[in-house]
Parts: sequence; C-alpha cells; structure tokens
Amino acid sequence: MPALEVAGLHKRYGRVHALRGVSFAVEPGEVFGYLGPNGAGKTTTLRILLGLARADRGAARLLGEPPGRPASRERIGFLPGELRLHGGMTGRALLDHFARFRPARPPLLRERLLAALDLKESDLARRVKWLSHGTRQKVGLVIAMQHDPDVVLLDEPTSGLDPLVQQGFRDLVRELAARGRAILFSSHVLSEVEAVCGRVAVLRAGALLAVEEIEALRARLVRRLEARFRGAAPGDLAALPGVTRAEVAGSAATLWLQGDVNPLLRRLAGCEVEHLVFPEPELEDVFLDLYRGGGGPA
Amino acid sequence: MRNLLRLLLARHAAYVLVSGLLLGGFQWLICAVVASTDVTGALGTLVQSLPPLAQTMVSEQFFGGFSKASLLAFGWAHPIAQAVGAALAIVLATQAVAGESEAGTIELTLGQPIARRTYLAAHVAFALAVLAFVTLAGLAGTIAGGRFYGLEPFRVTALARLGLDYLALQAALFGVTLMFSAFGREGGRVALFGFLAALVSYLVHVIGTMWDGWRPLVPYTLHAYYVPKDLLVGGAGVARPAATLLAVALGGLLVAWWRFRRRDLP
Repeated sequence: MPALEVAGLHKRYGRVHALRGVSFAVEPGEVFGYLGPNGAGKTTTLRILLGLARADRGAARLLGEPPGRPASRERIGFLPGELRLHGGMTGRALLDHFARFRPARPPLLRERLLAALDLKESDLARRVKWLSHGTRQKVGLVIAMQHDPDVVLLDEPTSGLDPLVQQGFRDLVRELAARGRAILFSSHVLSEVEAVCGRVAVLRAGALLAVEEIEALRARLVRRLEARFRGAAPGDLAALPGVTRAEVAGSAATLWLQGDVNPLLRRLAGCEVEHLVFPEPELEDVFLDLYRGGGGPA
Repeated sequence: MRNLLRLLLARHAAYVLVSGLLLGGFQWLICAVVASTDVTGALGTLVQSLPPLAQTMVSEQFFGGFSKASLLAFGWAHPIAQAVGAALAIVLATQAVAGESEAGTIELTLGQPIARRTYLAAHVAFALAVLAFVTLAGLAGTIAGGRFYGLEPFRVTALARLGLDYLALQAALFGVTLMFSAFGREGGRVALFGFLAALVSYLVHVIGTMWDGWRPLVPYTLHAYYVPKDLLVGGAGVARPAATLLAVALGGLLVAWWRFRRRDLP
C-alpha cells in the first residue's frame, strides 16, 4: 500500500484552475520530490492530502485513509510552506504544545533533530516572534518530525536554512527514508530536490508534466556551462557528444549540455582553462525539456 | 481539546484578566458614586431642566426612576459595562477562524490529529468560560462595592438572573461574530462586522425606546433582551430574554459550524 496517493485531483479557486488531474503515489521508504514554481499547485496538493482543502474531483489517501480524518494525521508530520507559529510562545513551549497532540507518539526524535539542525537551547528559550526566519523554520521542522511520523509532508523545508544546516537536514531525511518513512519533499528549487529525492513529480500550472526517477530527470536536463580560456576558445566544442548548443566569443564559451558531462571535461582537460562554472540549473530548463519531449500537460 | 484550551488560555489570559478587572472595577465605582454623592437629587434637578420627552427617556428608560438600586442597575446597562463584554466576545470569535486563518497558524494546528469540530468546540467552550468569568467579576464588583459602601444588597437570585442575561448577550454577540468568522479570512473585517452588529443593535434599541417611529424594530435587536433594570429592580424573570439571546447564539454557532466544516483553510 502506498504511504500516500493522489489520483486525478482537480481543484479550482474561482477562475484559477489550481490542479488539473494530478496523480502520483509515494511508497514507504521513498523521498519523493514535488517540484514546481511558486503557484504551481504544490501547496494545494498538500492541503488536500491533509484535509485542509477539498478537491473538486479526484481522490487522495494518506496511509490508506481519506483526508480529513484526525486518525490519519496521527502518523503524519507536516511543515507548511508559509510557516506561521504562535509568536508569543517560546520555542520549547511550542514543541511541547504540538507534541501533546499525539500522546501515543512521544517526541522521540526531538533531540536528534535539535542536534542535526543546530537548534540551541538558548533559541528555544526565546519567544518565537523574536527568532530569525531560519530559526523559526528549524522549529517548524522539529514540530513536523519530532514524533517520528510514518509520512512527512514538507513544503519548501529548506527555506531560510544556511547551507551547512541544509546538509544536516538532508542527511536526516535520508536517514528517515532508510527507516521506511515516506517523505514528500515539495520545492521550487531543482538542486534541492536533486540532492535528496529518488523520484520526482514535476508540476506546472496545476498539471503534472512528469513523474520519473531523479536520474532520468537529470539525464534529460540541459545544463549550462560557462568557460573562459587562456587564448581563444576551441572551435570544436559544439561538436562534442552531449553539447546541444554552444556560443563562443573570443576566449569565452557558453555551452548547453545534456547527459554525460565526461566527454566535454576530457576535451577541456587538454585546454588552458582560466575559469569554469556550472550555474544552478533553472527550473524553466526542465519545463522546456519536458514540453519538447511531449511531456506537457494534456 | 485540553491542549487547545491551554493554548487559548496562555494567549488570552492577560486580556481576560484585564476585562474582568475592568468590569468588576467599574461596578465597584458605580457603587462608590451612588453611595458617596446625592446622584438621585442631582439627576432629578438635571432631568427637570430637560424637555418632557427627554425627561421620560432619561429617567425611566436609562435609570428606571432614581432609586439607588436602579442606578446600580444602570451600571450594568452602561455602555462601558456592555463594551467590556462585547469586545471580548467579538475578539475571541474573530480570532477563532478568520484571525487564525489570516495569521496562518490554523494550517499547522489543523495539520495535527484534531477534528475541526474539536477545534471549534474548544474555541466556543473557552469563550463561554471566560465570558462567564468576566460576568462573575462584574457581579463581584457590584456585591463587594455594595457591601463596602453600605448599600442595600440585591437578592442573590436577582444578581444570578442579571449575570445570566449579561452572559447570554455576550454569547449572542460571540455567536453572530463567529458566524462571520467562519466565512472570513481577514480578522479585521470580521471584527468590524461583529462590532457593527453590536453597535446597530444597541443604537436601534436606544433610539427605538425614545422614538415611536423605530419602536417596532426594538424586538429585533439583541439589546431588547438585555434588561438589567427589570431583573434587578422590577423582579422580572430571565427565562425569556436569556432564551432568546441564547437561541441567537446557538443559531450563529450552527451556521458557523456548517460553514467551517466545509471551507478550505486557511
């Protein structure tokens, strides 16, 4: 049985079609990426799964139960995309408050999470309204996972976290998955999803463009590379395997690559390279590729 | 439910305490004023200088004559006494759904294993409990002030009837505002609607008691069923006015629940 499943979800908010027939399933032990730009319908999907919003059509199930039943949320952990906490409470009081909603599932993971997220006792002793955005996000992550849930729904979980803490958090997510927990990792940042997820659903304007292994997505992804050479850039770059496009101007070259990067790197190894950079892949590049490949919305 | 009640108490304790002290202190002050000055004589002189229509309105409708007991009853009909309870009722009802939606906190709370009915029931139970507390604080002010200043005490049954009527009025305002709250997403707007409902009811009632043209509207106001003078001085029964106000409260709650259980959040 999948840990969570949505089938043919449709949702409208007035004239806005927020979801158009979204279907996917997440198995236990899987970290599933839910990738799409802001406003794509990711948060709406999560809200339907939790019973906070109702689908116009289609079905959703969490641990085999329809959404909206409190019992199904007993084994769920949830981090909202726009995390708002009761600002007048201290971090510690807030963690205790949310832990009390599940008397049968004590917060066994709390200390492990506090360590992984570098959340200090002094932070927890302060009122939440005085904490930085990043620290509040850490408190939200502990609330979501302290009771060791079977399914974790995370909406933009690394928002505001510094890179070192992000790494610790990813390790934690992998650890949870290794213990059979299902994690739905919703994000608009491709590199984040790439770093931690095994499979990914790509959503745009409420429609699923693809559900595939991260390796398959990576292989399809067109990445950009910028290089500057000592002297003129080699003239044969455009002809190398995997290079789909090349713009060369004097000593500078911008290349678009798909698939294996090694043939290009071997060629560059024979050149005097002054500067080499792979900019962060843009989500738009994924969409362009999926549309070109016929993966566009029906 | 207990967890939610604990949260609500932590968030609103100071406001509830201040409201209780304000109402209790105000009723004590009324006792002090009635005991220490010849308010009856002064008001009698003042009223005689007014036109006949205004004389009737001021002396009968507001003070119920100029006995000390009726002046103490006026302390409960005074806009300050009504505003203290109404403000608390409106704020709590606004916060329950629209306020929490606007703040964004309702999403995380209802992402926990609690049913929507439990959530709403906790807010209703908390509101009724703190409104009862504030009512009791006001009654304590009247009793303690009366004893301290040596005023003739009211019978306990009369005070109990007054307390029930005051609580029922605030419960009705809570129910009406909760209905707006269940439909709304913006706390400020919902609070404004709740405040306007209370204000319109109060003004229509006041004008209707002075002017025959609006008199037919009076039975349709909430304040027509809040009758401290009749309860404290006239010995009237509380069953009908309180039942009417509680029916309005229940109606508001039912509509609020009907909407809240269906709506998308936040």
